[in-house]
Amino acid sequence: MSYIDWAVLLVTILAIIGYGVYKSRGEQSMDAYLLGNQSMPWYTVCLSVMATQASAITFLSAPGLAYTSGMSFVQFYFGLPLAMIVLCVAFVPIFHRLKVYTAYEYLEQRFDLNTRALTAFLFLIQRGLSTGITIYAPSIILSTILNIDTTITTLFIGGLVVFYTVYGGTKAVSYTQLLQMSIIFCGMFAAGIMVVHLLPGNVGFEKAISIAGKMGRTNAIDFNFDWKNPYNIWSGIIGGFFLQLSYFGTDQSQVGRYLSGASVGQSRLALLMNGLVKIPMQFLILLIGVLVFTFYQYNKAPLFFNSYELNKLEKSEYKAELDKIQLDYNNAFATKKVEVEKLDKALDANDQSKIDLQRIAVKKADEETKSIRKELTDLMTKNDEKANTNDNNYIFLSFVTQYLPKGLIGLLIAIIFLASMGSTASALNSLASTSVVDIYKRLINKDATDREYVKASRWSTIIWGVVCIVMALFASKIGNLLEAVNILGSFIYGTILGVFVVAFYLKSVKGKAVFYAAILAEIIVCILGFNDVVAFLWLNVIGCLLVVIFALVVQGLMGEKATDLQNN
Amino acid sequence: MINKNNDLPPFVKTWKQFYILLVIWLIILIASFYAFTNYFQ
Repeated sequence: MSYIDWAVLLVTILAIIGYGVYKSRGEQSMDAYLLGNQSMPWYTVCLSVMATQASAITFLSAPGLAYTSGMSFVQFYFGLPLAMIVLCVAFVPIFHRLKVYTAYEYLEQRFDLNTRALTAFLFLIQRGLSTGITIYAPSIILSTILNIDTTITTLFIGGLVVFYTVYGGTKAVSYTQLLQMSIIFCGMFAAGIMVVHLLPGNVGFEKAISIAGKMGRTNAIDFNFDWKNPYNIWSGIIGGFFLQLSYFGTDQSQVGRYLSGASVGQSRLALLMNGLVKIPMQFLILLIGVLVFTFYQYNKAPLFFNSYELNKLEKSEYKAELDKIQLDYNNAFATKKVEVEKLDKALDANDQSKIDLQRIAVKKADEETKSIRKELTDLMTKNDEKANTNDNNYIFLSFVTQYLPKGLIGLLIAIIFLASMGSTASALNSLASTSVVDIYKRLINKDATDREYVKASRWSTIIWGVVCIVMALFASKIGNLLEAVNILGSFIYGTILGVFVVAFYLKSVKGKAVFYAAILAEIIVCILGFNDVVAFLWLNVIGCLLVVIFALVVQGLMGEKATDLQNN
Repeated sequence: MINKNNDLPPFVKTWKQFYILLVIWLIILIASFYAFTNYFQ
């Protein structure tokens, strides 16, 4: 990276953090520290909600996914608008009316302390683990791209986030996220324009997508139902609905965001606007990946985007095999380029029969390249069993650093840092509020002053920050990081959502029944998940339904038992 | 300043109408993506 890029990167990050710290200065009560005094307008809440969900992984993995397997990932978000509606109808009014700090507080009012503690505990485990990944994911990638040690990037991201989250609480988190998202939108838009600009002169936006489409990369909709496929319209709408409802309704990192809305209406509007914007946003991010794919049909892509793994192989005893693979790859690229150019001409001539013929030819050439890459990853594993053979997360940043102009590279790297900081800040803020409100204030120190609780919240943020940074430093290789976070969530979200569904809609079910139902459901979900019985999105549906069914059964049995005792 | 009593959505008269708009928006998006998939494949 040039000095200009470093300057853009540092000025962008420091200016945004400075703004957040400035806006949250002054003495803070617990209300202000954890809920921002419930004074935020809808647009701040909306961008904050989006920044919390869109971690750095979103901007790294999504274009990589589109590059390797197409746009089917967009279907993952189809359940989101429906989930937003249910949240606005059922969750938001209740949380606002009861003036709760955390979602789990409500469960004690509805059921008992055990259920509140269980759900808070499940949340702390899930969010604590996934926040480690949220910091680790961009750290490892940025360290490879920028040639800096992972420890430095992890400590840089983690340290800055802990600083401003501890200092300013919810207000600092929301105000920084407002600017973060604005810059992220501008930066990704600029990146999209630059990719089109870098394509050969005769290849415009539409033709670039056409070429990628003929090679199977524009598959945004898949109507085929398959339990094992996480990205089709059915798993997206049904499974995605349950996942998003669980995430936004029961994960404190999101509940804390929209509870900071100035009124029920402001929180509702923020969530509904999120429902309006999220799918097109995700579509455009994937489209950038598709354009990058087309770009690499005219310009030779690296044999493997993760240069660290490739260098390891070069220095090993398998160098001769690697050289042969590289030669095969160069030849395959040359053949593929010829076929792509023929397709290009057929598209210009609008000759449907030639287009159909070339579609088959380019797909065949693409398969040839894929099989050579498979040979390479097999060799990597032969050399080192622990080698990371998935380079999805490196594709977009590799393109950015090699082909984009000075200044824009710094801005796009800043985006990755900012996205990571935004989601990490919300997570730390929610981990702190749950630890203090649901554990410390409720179980350990009930009669402290407001100032003492704010102090405890600050310490809690620091402790969770250190825990997450340590986890990020020790995180081992994980395939696709975006999927890893979603899979982890799916193991727990369904169960927690089930508890809330019972709380809202099954008034006859009491605390003990739902408590045992949740434990039983969680065990079954873990068994199904670890044995890979269904695609992870369905775990949310199964977890939720199992809690509801078990709660009704257990309550029925307990009710009958009580009746029997009375009769005897 | 935000009027806490003004809990109505913009553009429409009730929240229910806003929810319906969001569902219509989802249907339009799915239909557009379907057309996009077919057109470019």
